[in-house]
Amino acid sequence: MALDRKVAYIDLATGNIETRPIPLDVRKKYLGGRGLDAYLLYNHTEKGIDPLGPKNTLMISAGILGATLASASARTHIMAKSPLTDLLGSANMGGFFAPELAWAGFHHLVIKGKAKDPVYLWIHNGEIEIRDASNLWGKTVTETQWAIREELDDEDVKCAVCGPAGENLVRYANVMTGIKNSAGRSGMGAVMGSKNLKAVAARGTMDIKIAHPMDALNYNRRFIDQIVSAKVNQTQGTLGTPFIWGATNSWGGVRCRNFQYNQCEYADDIEPERLDEIATETMGPYHMTGCFGCQVHCRAQYKIPSGPYAGKYDEGPEYTSEGAFGGEPDCKNAVTVLTSNHLVDQWGVDNLEIGSIISWAMELFEEGILTSKDTDGLELRFGNDEALLEMIRRICFREGWLGDTLAEGGIQASEKIGKDSFEYLIQVKGMSNLHSDERATPALALGIATGSRGSDHLRSRPAIDLYHLPEEVLRKVYGNPVPYDGPLSSDHTSYVGKAWMVFWQELCYMGVDCLGICKYHTTFLGATLPNFEDWTKVLYYNTGLEMSPTDIWGIAERCYNIERLFNLREGLTRDDPRKGDTLNHRYFDEPCLRGAPDVIGATIDRKKFHKMIDEYYEHHGWDENGVPTPETLKRLGIDKEPSHLL
Amino acid sequence: MEPMGKVLMINYEKCTGCRLCELVCSVMHEGVSNPSRSRIKVVKWESEGLYVPISCQQCQDAPCVNVCPVKALSRDETLDFVEVDYDVCIGCRACVSACPFGAMSFDVIAKKVIKCDLCDGDPQCVRFCEIEAVEYVDADRVSVFKKRDAAQRLSAAQKEAAALQAQL
Amino acid sequence: MAIDTEKLSGAETLRKTRTYGKFRCHNPSCMGRLTPAAGEKQVRCPVCGMEFRVHWIRPDFPRIRGPVWDVNRRLAEEAAAKKLPKKAAKKEGK
Repeated sequence: MALDRKVAYIDLATGNIETRPIPLDVRKKYLGGRGLDAYLLYNHTEKGIDPLGPKNTLMISAGILGATLASASARTHIMAKSPLTDLLGSANMGGFFAPELAWAGFHHLVIKGKAKDPVYLWIHNGEIEIRDASNLWGKTVTETQWAIREELDDEDVKCAVCGPAGENLVRYANVMTGIKNSAGRSGMGAVMGSKNLKAVAARGTMDIKIAHPMDALNYNRRFIDQIVSAKVNQTQGTLGTPFIWGATNSWGGVRCRNFQYNQCEYADDIEPERLDEIATETMGPYHMTGCFGCQVHCRAQYKIPSGPYAGKYDEGPEYTSEGAFGGEPDCKNAVTVLTSNHLVDQWGVDNLEIGSIISWAMELFEEGILTSKDTDGLELRFGNDEALLEMIRRICFREGWLGDTLAEGGIQASEKIGKDSFEYLIQVKGMSNLHSDERATPALALGIATGSRGSDHLRSRPAIDLYHLPEEVLRKVYGNPVPYDGPLSSDHTSYVGKAWMVFWQELCYMGVDCLGICKYHTTFLGATLPNFEDWTKVLYYNTGLEMSPTDIWGIAERCYNIERLFNLREGLTRDDPRKGDTLNHRYFDEPCLRGAPDVIGATIDRKKFHKMIDEYYEHHGWDENGVPTPETLKRLGIDKEPSHLL
Repeated sequence: MEPMGKVLMINYEKCTGCRLCELVCSVMHEGVSNPSRSRIKVVKWESEGLYVPISCQQCQDAPCVNVCPVKALSRDETLDFVEVDYDVCIGCRACVSACPFGAMSFDVIAKKVIKCDLCDGDPQCVRFCEIEAVEYVDADRVSVFKKRDAAQRLSAAQKEAAALQAQL
Repeated sequence: MAIDTEKLSGAETLRKTRTYGKFRCHNPSCMGRLTPAAGEKQVRCPVCGMEFRVHWIRPDFPRIRGPVWDVNRRLAEEAAAKKLPKKAAKKEGK
């Protein structure tokens, strides 16, 4: 049974390991995955701890449906206090690690303390062993995994590892698995590095009993039909996520030159179709690869066609690498994008964050805030591909003053750089924004401003808002499972009803993150994709748990509020430019200069934005400062946290 | 006319490596998610992006049948596949050693040998593989499809060569 | 639990609203439906004049590959001249 998978508490300092079952009443409150991780984080960390100190607690988990017939039940969730934001750290990756963890008997790992020397965890059929990793330290992401397989003499071992960037405590280092699957936000790899934990290796052959096997099979077939019938997933299955960057760049919704522009003009060489054309050996419809159990297969495979890394095999690039290494630094060169993508995959750093930080530094250099003395002679200008590649290396290995400084993340770097460098930093809660430009899309702007892990597109983005869907379609999506009869608008430049959309999407994404399935399998990029109502069936057939759509909605709300409580405890206040639900002043002050005629001149309206936040708080049952009211906490049964049920 | 018998046709060039076939196989046969109990397995070379699903070929002159000391293996007449009679099988694993494809497995939980039984004519791996890397086709069609693919490659190469020649 | 296997979920009922063969113009107030002829490489929005290059995922499934840069850039410049304060427009020219 999925429900008999355990939680393990591992103290790296003492070597003490304790395993416990997860009680059914805890499951019914938090399901698993991100939701239960949030509960564990709130219960197993003290206020104000150093995220890179031994008192931080690292959670690694599979969703409650991990490895079951839920279609892409592949997601691994990682949580800890973030060394980048000093607030909630949370990251999620596909691949094959979470299912293997589940077959090895576990859904949740709670890792505390710091090992004296480098170690890795070996998790095998209910047993956990702490093993020496001194020979792995310094190895790249894939080298580490292959070396562990060799040591354990088992090709089927799956690992979650940190790369050199994590070892070097780059504050936005990834936890990774496989070639490129990345738990890539908020610096969870640095937390691993700070604990001297190089990897978690798992291999399992334990049954996960399916509650109703034939029904689960039949329903899964129907669920998959639903998922692959979406046009968006058919496009993803041939071009991968770069298709979104291409489409968005077309109308002026991406960032270019550190948010100076909202379009990267004449970027034909990095259009997804072009990447497909030049990576002839591996891309194209049948040269895509998929995560566990997934029929969308959105991950492209490629070999770098030329340059110093010619012939190297990798996967991706995703939207984020298109933005980070193409559009934002204005390096419109496919080989640069593919090479940069390979470097961050090997060294294990967040492509999104590092691309943003380098572009920020490029603007500071062009504005004279950084000088060539600071860059050790590097001409850190937009469009300088070599400077981009060089800075990726310097940051991952903390080389030179600037590499070391930028490795600290935007806010800390801005304090070291001084002058008005902070004003140029496009961040929320200390985390860089995706390379999308939200000035013409208020709903998306609200989403990044309020995301619980800082600026992010996978926390609450109502992407279908861009499709101009008829109001009756919007009502069908956003009016369930709890009724909503307030205003909704098909116009994505409007502020009307957007607070509800963001609130709804937050709970929807929390739902999939608890279940452990992929966001491409829910209402993210397509209105016809499954959500709460559909999940009740997957949950029932696979685990036997009987829940209504509103039950799942309630769980998601509870989990989201736990995340909010954590952030408030760690210092979030509504209007704090560094730790609040705010946006960089450029969103309000600088109009869009490029793109479709109607996008030109767009800014976010301060007053309307403020009102939208008020509405959003109200939907949540939070006061005007964004603090859950006592009634809300009571309603959700979390008025006595931390309650230490686990 | 005698039924031709259908076979699993695997085209590994299409495989995306998702392993859903392993999952549905273990659910269908054992009611559990556990790829180690699946009859089909995707063998992977991740660093090259190469994924090859391996399953029983239902050999005509099957080494597993030949090697079985108690004659527990035989050919099923209706679906034309190699079948294990568990009432007779002694679990000696001679068939596991003999199979040239590694397609005969030993299930350590049920303590029995396991192999593809074509799911009574509705192979679940085929039912779920959207990319059609695994298909269930009449035995005589396999080589026809391969001929067509080869012919297509040949004709494309010929056209390319002609174009190059024209440029000279 | 009574799970109604036959009943379609909200998401499932929306499948019938899906259309193939067309996409929307990328101009927010326009969003007109554009239907490129089969295999066509380029399409122009009759309402706002934006032009797009077309990629075909399948013979019945086109998507916007990107703008026809020269055309859409000119439209953007015209809009900028009307809408933007001079200082901002100047920045674009630098």
